[in-house]
Amino acid sequence: MSEFLNLLAAGLTSGGIYGIFGACLAVWFRVCNVLNLAVGDFAMLGAVGTAWLTQTAGLPFGAGIAVALAGVGLVAWLFDRVVLHLAFDRGAGAHGIVSVFFYTFGLSLLLEGAARAMFGTDVFGAPAIWPGPALAVADFHVQRAGLLVIALAIVSGLLLWAYLRFTVSGRAASACGESVLGSRIVGIDSAKFRRRIFIVTALLAALFGIVESPITGYTYASGPTLSLIGVVAAGFAAFRQPGRAVAAGLAIGVAEAMLGGYVSTSYSDVLLYAILFCIIIVRPEVLGLGPEPA
Amino acid sequence: MNRPGVSRPGVSRPGVSRPGAKRDPVPLGAAAGITVAGGLVLAAMNGSYLGLTVTTGVAYAVVTVGMVLQLGYSRQLAFSQSVFMGVGAYGTGVLETRYGFGSLESLLAVIALAAAASLLIGAVITRAPGLALALATLLLPLFIYQLATDSGWLGSFSGINGVLPFWSGPDYEATLVRSGIVSVLLLGLAAGVVLRVMRSGIGLQLMAMAEDERLGESIGVSLRQRRLEVFVLGSVLAAVGGAVLASTQGLVTPDVLSESAEITLLLMVFVAGRKSVAGAISGAVVIEYLTTSTSFISTNLGIIEGIVLLLILLIEPDGVAGAVDRLLGHRTDQWAASLRAWSAARLQARAHSTPESAERELAAPGHGTRDVEARGGGDGGGS
Repeated sequence: MSEFLNLLAAGLTSGGIYGIFGACLAVWFRVCNVLNLAVGDFAMLGAVGTAWLTQTAGLPFGAGIAVALAGVGLVAWLFDRVVLHLAFDRGAGAHGIVSVFFYTFGLSLLLEGAARAMFGTDVFGAPAIWPGPALAVADFHVQRAGLLVIALAIVSGLLLWAYLRFTVSGRAASACGESVLGSRIVGIDSAKFRRRIFIVTALLAALFGIVESPITGYTYASGPTLSLIGVVAAGFAAFRQPGRAVAAGLAIGVAEAMLGGYVSTSYSDVLLYAILFCIIIVRPEVLGLGPEPA
Repeated sequence: MNRPGVSRPGVSRPGVSRPGAKRDPVPLGAAAGITVAGGLVLAAMNGSYLGLTVTTGVAYAVVTVGMVLQLGYSRQLAFSQSVFMGVGAYGTGVLETRYGFGSLESLLAVIALAAAASLLIGAVITRAPGLALALATLLLPLFIYQLATDSGWLGSFSGINGVLPFWSGPDYEATLVRSGIVSVLLLGLAAGVVLRVMRSGIGLQLMAMAEDERLGESIGVSLRQRRLEVFVLGSVLAAVGGAVLASTQGLVTPDVLSESAEITLLLMVFVAGRKSVAGAISGAVVIEYLTTSTSFISTNLGIIEGIVLLLILLIEPDGVAGAVDRLLGHRTDQWAASLRAWSAARLQARAHSTPESAERELAAPGHGTRDVEARGGGDGGGS
């Protein structure tokens, strides 16, 4: 029983990360029909930046977090003002399926390359926000950082869900994703919603990177894999439902831990991805996706 | 009632050649041109390091040519090319080192294997609507890579060593040149097949589907059949590219299956031109050269790739090839306008003169040019 609970805790911790990235992807996709493939890179920037600022540059922990988050916010704002503004507000460049993936894919490459140039190839872990040994009840152990990740994932998922469902601003944001022209006709500034939610989700991802990095550690190349798992979690939420994306992420994390614990440590990831692949191709309707944009 | 994709009697169907119709010379010409030009270039490089880089680029080019049809022309959101490249590379390695196949036998076996695998996977995967296909194919590299690195039979992280070259020579340099010539022959064939499809009625159907699937369906295109065909062709070409890569390098590593391999392939296609076969070939060779030949680029690869990709997407979505096409098209339009003006002037001169005076006029030096300039038909004269 204790083995099951320990595996469950480990699975929920990694699932919380997948889930929150899925939620970040879903909420932004809902607003502008673009997948943020740089979400994992924002987490990496937050984690590696905080670790570097506190351990190498000697800043106090709080200041390190603040500077790292400010940097991530600035990068997100600049990307929106320069690239997304030109592409979506001025009508320049590629549209259709290309815009769904490749603008943020370019940003991901850029951030990964910049992080490598700035921080090198070392593994970084930010100091723990809630330091101390793992919490233990009999044989059940859970890391403090893991508990924070799970709690924050659930709270963030619920907040994003509630924002979109119950607030006027959230409904206006959703309207932008349904029809940019329609939303503009009724006076909704779609560019403003796109920019705000892009920055907020980038900051959220960075914060999760900071909270989680004491457990796994981050390198400059950690981002794409996290983004990819986030895409999968968001995919199981039709790319539009942040609450469901968190649930999907948690389920994926738990499945990964259980497969590793009870089936095969070596092949747990292989089995997990194979199962997800089979679900998608055998029952694509579970994703709730429509046809691709032309 | 007619089934979709089946023509009624008396109604011509795209993709079916009519009696007396002239065969399109471009695919065959392109295939021959690529083979001859590529072979000459590799022979001139005489087995040098540059020759190895170009041959590796040729291996990637076989894959990117298929991606032009899949991603660029048909807009099929499939990201499984690195997986099928791995099927080709690992298939070649396993068949040659474990079962004693020759290089030609293993190439044919790998093509058959990739066709069968892509047909099986594609039959299910291409049913997935829109982004689900992208999602499913994004997952493929993740678990196939893990499978390859965890499997001792596939050599784990070290991979498989001792893959045979396509055509052995007396020494390393000669082997590289000969294998390179076989590689460009395969690239020429791949380009010829893709151009043949793109320039046929099937290509028009794919274009219609890419623009709007409902439009394609309304004109009788069997969407599922066409999607599957494109998926299989793209996957088989990726496997051939993998086989070329394995034979060129003499080994197979799991890197060929990794996410970064897929990213590199996507960059080769998008930067050079996702709708152009020539762009995809030159993009693969040039990017392979740049990433392996200069330390500055290989160190700062991510930054450069990111900036270039964003600039291309914003400024010229059809890539460098699109920009070149536009430039050449503009120049060609100008030349055509000049020619039209010159012809019109000549006809007019003929109509207003006797045969003798017309002959004298035509024989006069600079005759055409003066007329064209006088009527504003020179450079920038417009049509």
